[in-house]
Amino acid sequence: MAAPCRKMVSRSFPQLLTCFNRTAVGSAGCRRFSISPPGRATPQSNTAVERVTSPWTLMAAVCLQRLPVITADCSPIEQRFKQMMQQMELEKSLLSDHELRLMEDAERMSRKQGNEYDSDEEEGHGDQEIMLAQDLEDTWEQRFKSFQPAPRVRADLDKDLTSVQRCLADSLVLLAEQQVGAEKLWLLPQAAWQEGETLRQTAERALCSVTAADFKATFLGNAPCGVYKYKLPKAARTESSVGTKVFFFKAILADSAPGTAPNTALLWVKKSELQKYLKPAYMMKVDRFILSL
Amino acid sequence: MSLVVSRCICGLLCRQAVPPRLLLGEYFPGMQSPWFSPVVTLKTSAPLRAEPKKKKKVDPRREQMMRERLKKKLKKLERVPPELIPIEDFITPTKCLDETRKRIPPRLSFEESESRALLLKEWSQYKQKQHMAEVEAIEVALEAQREALEELKLESKELYQAALKPDPLLFPVTHEGPAYTPPIPNYEAPDGKYNDVTKVYTQ
Repeated sequence: MAAPCRKMVSRSFPQLLTCFNRTAVGSAGCRRFSISPPGRATPQSNTAVERVTSPWTLMAAVCLQRLPVITADCSPIEQRFKQMMQQMELEKSLLSDHELRLMEDAERMSRKQGNEYDSDEEEGHGDQEIMLAQDLEDTWEQRFKSFQPAPRVRADLDKDLTSVQRCLADSLVLLAEQQVGAEKLWLLPQAAWQEGETLRQTAERALCSVTAADFKATFLGNAPCGVYKYKLPKAARTESSVGTKVFFFKAILADSAPGTAPNTALLWVKKSELQKYLKPAYMMKVDRFILSL
Repeated sequence: MSLVVSRCICGLLCRQAVPPRLLLGEYFPGMQSPWFSPVVTLKTSAPLRAEPKKKKKVDPRREQMMRERLKKKLKKLERVPPELIPIEDFITPTKCLDETRKRIPPRLSFEESESRALLLKEWSQYKQKQHMAEVEAIEVALEAQREALEELKLESKELYQAALKPDPLLFPVTHEGPAYTPPIPNYEAPDGKYNDVTKVYTQ
């Protein structure tokens, strides 16, 4: 406890002078804590001083991912291997009940068509004679064909970048167009940090406010997954603001509920398409924690 | 002369035989006389036959104790350890050992077996590359997180401590994995009828 105290005291020594010039509130605060041991009094006031006069503005951004809904297509080597494994497993296996029944039926048919056939000599397989195994297969085939599954790939949806249902085999990331300084940029939705809340709460607020739509997102933990810091151009730099640090938080879209407001500019992009929309330095940092395996 | 001698001897014997006949009465069981009681029958002598038999107080308790002992022995015998429930997966069903089920193993040409071996090698290389790529991606992501936490530490201690806290509301988390086709919107699945033939074991 003593070492960080010393470090903080040395860092904010030039700013301690500004502390004494503050209003009565600040000094009253210092005097209020004088009852407690002096070691504990100084860090609290120092951190308050430090956070206020830290040159970096804090922001939190959310990396909302829609995970894949369908399995990806097999690559050529995967397809070849799949076929080979199926063949090998079939060769090593035993005959199943259904296959045995097929063989028996075929034998019985050939015997029936032969000259010396005595139906009394047949064993009691009444059911099997009425319903041959081949008929069963046909009925199963019919039932399978009557079911229509949803199509895996829809070309029109894939091209629509604003739709959540595009590219169901890949994981998508949400991008929003936000005003930063003088220009509009495509970024992960972010918001400025306010006093009294943790960075994760800032990220949740960013998601609600920037998207203006209630996405059911599960935030994965309290810790940020990445950071991007940029310094303001020299002209805009002041004592109190050298630059901004943006902390990213990961979240998973729980329910792909449609109903976004049309006026907010939102995009769902794959990792390969991120490069077209993000600035290079930003892209480098964001690229690291978005996994597309 | 001999006749007189024999008559005298008989007479002597007869005289001597009389007292033994009286003695013999004790040994013959058939002989009933009021003075000689037969030995084989119960000793129900006259004074004993007159009174009713007394029940001692110790007897019911003794009987109860005997009954308890018998019950305990029965319980010990019945206390058989419960049979272990058989694990059905570990028991090879006899259907699989049936000889009629064996397939005829096919004859593979030399080219076919060669191509199979080469494909297996290609596959192992492909999978290894995939695995190394995954491991690298995870390491890069961890590094990014470590940097973020360091920057946060430089900024403010409180936010750093808040970031390190575990989230109790996160787990248990469930997510439906990818299927072959996407879900049909507003689909009503038909009720499936089935006969449940699982064996239930009770101990």
